[in-house]
Amino acid sequence: MFRKILLAYDGSDGADRALKVGIDLAKIHGAELLALGVQGNLPRFSGTIDEVQEEKLFANDQYGKLLEAARVKAKEAGIDLKTLMRPGHPAQTIVAVAKEGEFDLVLVGHTGLSGVWAAFLGTTAEKVSRHAPCSVLIVR
Amino acid sequence: MEQVWYTAAAWIGLALLASLISIRIGISVALVEIFLGFVAGNLGAHFGSTLFQPNAWINFLAGFASVVLTFLAGAEIEPGAFRRQLKPTLAIGILSFLLPFLGSWAYAHYVSGWTWQASQIAGIALSTTSMAVVYAVMVETGLNETELGKLILAACFITDLGTVLALGLIFANYDYWLVIFTLVTGVVLWRIPAVVRWLLTRWGGRVSEPEIKFIFLILCALGGLAVTARSEAVLPAYLFGMVVAGLFVHNKVLILRMRSITFALLTPFFFIKAGTLISLPALLASLGLLVALFWVKMITKIIGVWPLCRIFRMPLRESNYTTLMMATGLTFGSISALFGFNYGYIDQSQYSVLVTVVIASAVIPTIIAQIFCHPRHTGPLGEAKE
Repeated sequence: MFRKILLAYDGSDGADRALKVGIDLAKIHGAELLALGVQGNLPRFSGTIDEVQEEKLFANDQYGKLLEAARVKAKEAGIDLKTLMRPGHPAQTIVAVAKEGEFDLVLVGHTGLSGVWAAFLGTTAEKVSRHAPCSVLIVR
Repeated sequence: MEQVWYTAAAWIGLALLASLISIRIGISVALVEIFLGFVAGNLGAHFGSTLFQPNAWINFLAGFASVVLTFLAGAEIEPGAFRRQLKPTLAIGILSFLLPFLGSWAYAHYVSGWTWQASQIAGIALSTTSMAVVYAVMVETGLNETELGKLILAACFITDLGTVLALGLIFANYDYWLVIFTLVTGVVLWRIPAVVRWLLTRWGGRVSEPEIKFIFLILCALGGLAVTARSEAVLPAYLFGMVVAGLFVHNKVLILRMRSITFALLTPFFFIKAGTLISLPALLASLGLLVALFWVKMITKIIGVWPLCRIFRMPLRESNYTTLMMATGLTFGSISALFGFNYGYIDQSQYSVLVTVVIASAVIPTIIAQIFCHPRHTGPLGEAKE
């Protein structure tokens, strides 16, 4: 039923649970699984280009390690996990990648790393579920 | 009597708080530092504390920060992109500077009744485009890797060059000191790339940092000469950055070390100081002027940039986006306003209005551009490193 599964991955407990579900679903459906790390906290309205470049390097390193760890977990379970990282607003970026890559399922952990703000602004999972072009599974 | 360590601890504590807030909310540390400086400065004034009133050593660190910031901005030029789209880059960059400069100058002088020199400062501060704000927006979408993104960044560079030249030349004394400054700067800029290259090869990468000390030496020496000629130290700093930009591209370690020194010790003092001098009562008394100057900047940027984008056959959405991006401002606007305040060309009330307009221009056009005018093509997705 599912050919391409997009996993929103930020290294949180919720994202790890979504990874496990993603691995299971990929096995059942023989689907392609891609983990997306969104670098959502790059500095806006920056005073210097150097600040943006430094923060981008830091985020690349941080998300590179997270995604590599996810890839190793998936490999141990016998799944070839592809990885991708992009800067931007988390929900918008997940939806955009789901559209561009014509994914037919998006997996999101229920609780990400933005818990405090989520109480006021809604969770990334809620936003993705409203705007994604395909099915969305929020993993609890 | 001031106890220097308490003052230093207070300012560095504020800088640390700004870093933590910046990391948490994803807003640039510069903007957070200005805001915290504004809060601390006004609270200090209200309760009669002098802790956050700039003094001689803070003024030096802030001044040096503005010079190093300008040098780093100058070193960001990408000559290849500049050459590929020379005509649109030059045309958009020059008009993006010239029209807001003339428009804001005229409005401040003829409508608001500012003095000739104060209105010139207004023109310079509001003519700027923030290359850093633009770059941050484009990195989020990969637009900085496209030809459109490179054109916009190169045009920002030209606009900032106009600002720096205006700041350095309008207030200069046209006497023999200016001639000496021009000649010495010319010779130094001509020979310095070879000297820096030699220095990096022969002495680079050592713990005593001879190459960074050399760069600071040149910045201070040319800055001193500029000030003697009643010019501004940021002018030679920007030009120095431009001529050694190519060397910086290939020396990542040097860039990282320069950034560490700049962000840890220098820029907090500049941005916090810029914030402490913004007076809340003055702002509240000048809200109308604040809004008016903001619109003057926006309208003159639109008149200067948008038609040119269309003339160079940029699609409508991209033209709107480019125009809004060119209307942003932050660091050079703050540097210009602070220059005017330090030399007594503007008072604290005028300074407060100008810096607030500059900050508003960093935020409002950026948000509008991101929501309504973002170009549809954002380039290919980048694979994560494995």
